Amino acid sequence: MLENYFPVLLFIAVGLAVGVAPLVLGRLAAPHRPDDAKLSPYECGFEAFEDARMKFDVRYYLVAILFILFDLEIAFLFPWAVVLKEIGVFGFVSMLVFLSILVVGFIYEWMKGALEWE
Amino acid sequence: MMTIETIVFYLFAALSVFAGLRVITARNPVHAALFLVLAFFSMAGIWLLLEAEFLAITLVLVYVGAVMVLFLFVVMMLDVDLVQLREGFWRWFPIGALLAAVMVGEMIWVLGNRQTAETGAEVIKHAADYSNTKELGRLIYTDYVYPFELAAVLLLVAIVAAIALTLRQRRTAKRQDVAQQVAVKRNDRVRLVSMPASARVSTQAQPDEAAASDQQKH
Amino acid sequence: MMELLQTIEQAGQGLLGPFWGPLWTLVKIVVIVAPIMGGVAYLTLAERKILGYMQDRVGPNRVGYWGLLQPIADGVKLLMKEIIIPTGANKFLFVAAPVLALVPALVAWAVVPFADGMILANVNAGLLYILAMTSLGVYGIIIAGWASNSKYAFLGAIRSAAQIVSYELAMGFALVCVLLAAQSMSLVDIVKGQQHGYGLLGWYFIPLFPMFVVYFIAGVAETNRAPFDLAEDESVIVAGFHTEYSGMGFALFFLAEYANMILISALTSVFFLGGWLNPFEGWPVLGAMTAWVPGLFWMLAKMSVFLFIFLWFRATFPRYRYDQLMRLGWKVFIPLTLVWVVVVAAWMQTPLWFW
Repeated sequence: MLENYFPVLLFIAVGLAVGVAPLVLGRLAAPHRPDDAKLSPYECGFEAFEDARMKFDVRYYLVAILFILFDLEIAFLFPWAVVLKEIGVFGFVSMLVFLSILVVGFIYEWMKGALEWE
Repeated sequence: MMTIETIVFYLFAALSVFAGLRVITARNPVHAALFLVLAFFSMAGIWLLLEAEFLAITLVLVYVGAVMVLFLFVVMMLDVDLVQLREGFWRWFPIGALLAAVMVGEMIWVLGNRQTAETGAEVIKHAADYSNTKELGRLIYTDYVYPFELAAVLLLVAIVAAIALTLRQRRTAKRQDVAQQVAVKRNDRVRLVSMPASARVSTQAQPDEAAASDQQKH
Repeated sequence: MMELLQTIEQAGQGLLGPFWGPLWTLVKIVVIVAPIMGGVAYLTLAERKILGYMQDRVGPNRVGYWGLLQPIADGVKLLMKEIIIPTGANKFLFVAAPVLALVPALVAWAVVPFADGMILANVNAGLLYILAMTSLGVYGIIIAGWASNSKYAFLGAIRSAAQIVSYELAMGFALVCVLLAAQSMSLVDIVKGQQHGYGLLGWYFIPLFPMFVVYFIAGVAETNRAPFDLAEDESVIVAGFHTEYSGMGFALFFLAEYANMILISALTSVFFLGGWLNPFEGWPVLGAMTAWVPGLFWMLAKMSVFLFIFLWFRATFPRYRYDQLMRLGWKVFIPLTLVWVVVVAAWMQTPLWFW
């Protein structure tokens, strides 16, 4: 099994090389003449007077949390999907129960308006 | 003899120890979070060496792909104040040290225990087409069905808790209601007015007459 | 062809011994990566040409015959441009972000089969691996946005992170349906599971048609392409997460986006359109007429169709508004895919399942 993953490891190394090489080449080939105006962050007309990293709408956190939960659900669905033919009706019913419990959560989410954006 | 596997193992192990150390020593919380990502990656590599294929990739999928994204969101956007964080460091240090000592003791006890040491010694090698995922699937949904359903309940509690903690309704917000938009009929929006067609349209409109004919139609 | 490869392998083994294996793998990786890079370069030309014709223009036509040297000229231009690192930026992360965006887009190709036996690593958990790798693409964007220390970049990064994350769920659920049908996570097995001797009638896009559509649209959203290109909504947030990037840093983000487009096209072909399989296999006349066509051709043809659709979308649809985008992901795709998972699973319990 491991011999299948060795090329993947090598591929990651090659991928990193392909990513880094253009940056190095660009640094070598391109001119490098920085000045204040060029290095200032893109703004409309005036200097930026505060840190750009600001607090954010809590909705984005909610999306991230819900994503984790549903991602876990998918992780549970994967092994089930590949053996459904072997575990038959029993396996089907056990997943049906699992999904219906989570659908309750999804409906709650929906009704509470957690999926609304304005 | 050093096989490639051993080399790769030590590489990942060294990487995860280094990353773990940097998580707690890095000054910038974003750097710390990114080192945690690196630690997860190297742990996934070690699990893969143990042929726990499904768990290794799920670790990357769930922890790196989802949990750490949330972590990054939080540390990037809550602009954690470093000075404030460090304020109580020495006051709470004894309690932290005690907790750490207890955990280290527990780990030594577990790892030093002869039974666990013996059963955990041998790693079974599998053929190239062995599917770890199918093995898991055969067990989780049949033999371990109760813990599995419990996991669903746990996830449900997490969903409800997440919404209860973070959801704030804004009264002034404007929303689009698609169902309402689709349900709109022509008569709700358009009113056809038939005007008397006259040959000569005078530039000076006669408001009284137009209004009167309009009213007649309705 | 196969014999030639075998002689090379034997000669190599004799010459280099244990070092031959890794070296040969390296050669294979280069054989995969180089055409992808070339494909990306010419996809940009194709995009400009096709958009041009759709808007009644001719597109680039000055550099080389029919503009064929345009991508090379673009590459050289970007190479000669100064790499600017803004003063407030976090230097290391600012430089690392484009690399982090490109690597997952390339590494996912390791498990994609191009034709029968033409695959670098036939991993058992191939589909899971793909999903894990595509979920890493978001790091490049978040880090770029944060490291730039620019408001536009930051806003773009947050927007696109939330977008990618939402559509990944729909993708995951759609893939569960593919797994149900194929009963395997290996991409080779998934393609072989669609081979029934009835040509395209055996492919999964028939029983999983809604998932096929959802997967491709979610793929468009994942790659931040029009009409879901809110991350680089130029009229609102300048260029989104790569506002501050120039020269090769910008080029890497571009490469990553296009490599992802090609990847999504390849994956959609493998999961739903039978990968390298001949669509007319086993058909009375057409089957015999097309039997000589190599599998690689079919794979590339299917990928080209999807790539064309990507460009077509861009020319046709206006950009989504953010609330509409989130509604489509969470309130349409996720319920639809969840229902279809149950439908397919129930369908498989009956004797009416032919795939």
